[in-house]
Amino acid sequence: MATHAVVIDGLCKKFPSPNGRGEFTVIDSLSLQIACGSFASIVGPSGCGKSTLLNIIAGIEPRDAGEVRVQSQDGADSGARIGYVFQSPRLLNWLTVEDNIKFALEAQNIGRSSWNERVTKYLHMVGLAGQERNFPLKLSGGMQQRVAIARALAIEPDILLMDEPFSHLDEITARKMRVDLMQILEHARPTILFVTHSLREAVFLSEEVYMMSVKPARIFKHLRVDIPRPREPEDPRLFDLEKGLVKEFFAVLEQDFR
Amino acid sequence: MKFFRPEAVPGFLSAIGLLLVWTGVSRFFLPTFLPSPLALLSQMFSIFSHAAAYLVIGKTLERVFAGLVLSMLLGSLIGLVMGLRRSVESFFDGWIMVLLTFPSICWAFLAVLWFGLSDIAPIFTIVLIVLPYVAMNIWEGAKAIDRELSDMATVFRAPRFLFLRKVLIPQLMPYIFSSLRISFALSWKIALVSEAFGASRGVGKELMYWFQGTRADMMLAWGASFMLLMVAIDALVLRPWENRVFSWRPAAV
Repeated sequence: MATHAVVIDGLCKKFPSPNGRGEFTVIDSLSLQIACGSFASIVGPSGCGKSTLLNIIAGIEPRDAGEVRVQSQDGADSGARIGYVFQSPRLLNWLTVEDNIKFALEAQNIGRSSWNERVTKYLHMVGLAGQERNFPLKLSGGMQQRVAIARALAIEPDILLMDEPFSHLDEITARKMRVDLMQILEHARPTILFVTHSLREAVFLSEEVYMMSVKPARIFKHLRVDIPRPREPEDPRLFDLEKGLVKEFFAVLEQDFR
Repeated sequence: MKFFRPEAVPGFLSAIGLLLVWTGVSRFFLPTFLPSPLALLSQMFSIFSHAAAYLVIGKTLERVFAGLVLSMLLGSLIGLVMGLRRSVESFFDGWIMVLLTFPSICWAFLAVLWFGLSDIAPIFTIVLIVLPYVAMNIWEGAKAIDRELSDMATVFRAPRFLFLRKVLIPQLMPYIFSSLRISFALSWKIALVSEAFGASRGVGKELMYWFQGTRADMMLAWGASFMLLMVAIDALVLRPWENRVFSWRPAAV
């Protein structure tokens, strides 16, 4: 049994400079370990390389140096299942809700006999029971994102990557989704790596918070959130944590921009 | 269903007007030179009271269909690879330009010289003229593929064939259908021209025959019949098929 779902060691990533000459370092020797079964958030300002980090872990972005290992629960290095919830739903609009989930199941080579059962289970979990035959464009933005979450959960991933999944939604919908996500995770418990620019969101959702600074991205603070679940969004202890983190953030950012 | 639609009135009036003017003008000419609408209609009925007419139309349709399917398949394949691979793009780019700019009528004549009076000549002509349009269209489509969806498919480790079926081709469907419509309209016109001097049987051959007999009425009757058939195929096959494929789109308001 592996103890860590993700192990990142000395990761470096460079992008070509916007002016066309040379390259700049986005991520510089970043190391990070995410324990199996934990909910970890990475918080940082826009453009700090959070999404790039997730994309490297997911294998859609190459890295320049360092090691990234995603391990399945039984410790096998290859064949770990990765679920990904993007900022936008990225659904296949020409397929029904049901077939969108089956697309992921087929891609992951999951036995056909379990498809219907999984579709029903995970759609029910995200509160979309009965929407199987609907097409995505007939659903609201929040519902589409729920389908994307169901799709990612249905493959029963070893790690679930979430890239600011609620940032495209209006605040009221986003808030409801956060509370619902907590409830969903009482039933399905993959390891989660959640990326956000909102400290409040990170503190409310996660057990581990990693704070990231800009140019190049590095982790300057790790915080455990020990408040037991279920949590109330208005819990004053969460506010206190958030306030403390905001202060530290500005101290670091000011150094960075000096 | 509403039976009276005010927006249809101008179209209706212009059709009535045309028929009236046509009837009036036709009085000054021989019926074989410019038949009245009614005379034309009766010629059409007389054509289709002979079984041979259906064989002639069937032969032409067969060629249109073969040319259309071949151009769509080859054109889509070339366009798709061009859109996805830079190196292939520059390889085919020049050829597409050559085909697009070469005079169509040359192909029709050359095909007869090369293949004689056969089925191959009209099909060859259709493919050479229609294929570049299809390839261009699908090429545009392949360049507009949504990278975010491709990344999503990669993250979920979709194998190539699944990606092709569920991610790539559905995104190309609008381009495939617009190609199909252009190709269909072009194919049957080309087929008739090519048959006129390169086939032993077919609607084009009929037109040539009645042309040589200076029978404008028969040419119009054949032309109008074929036109009706093509409109019917469009309305009864292409449109319903397109509506079915795009049923996932919310209805346009």
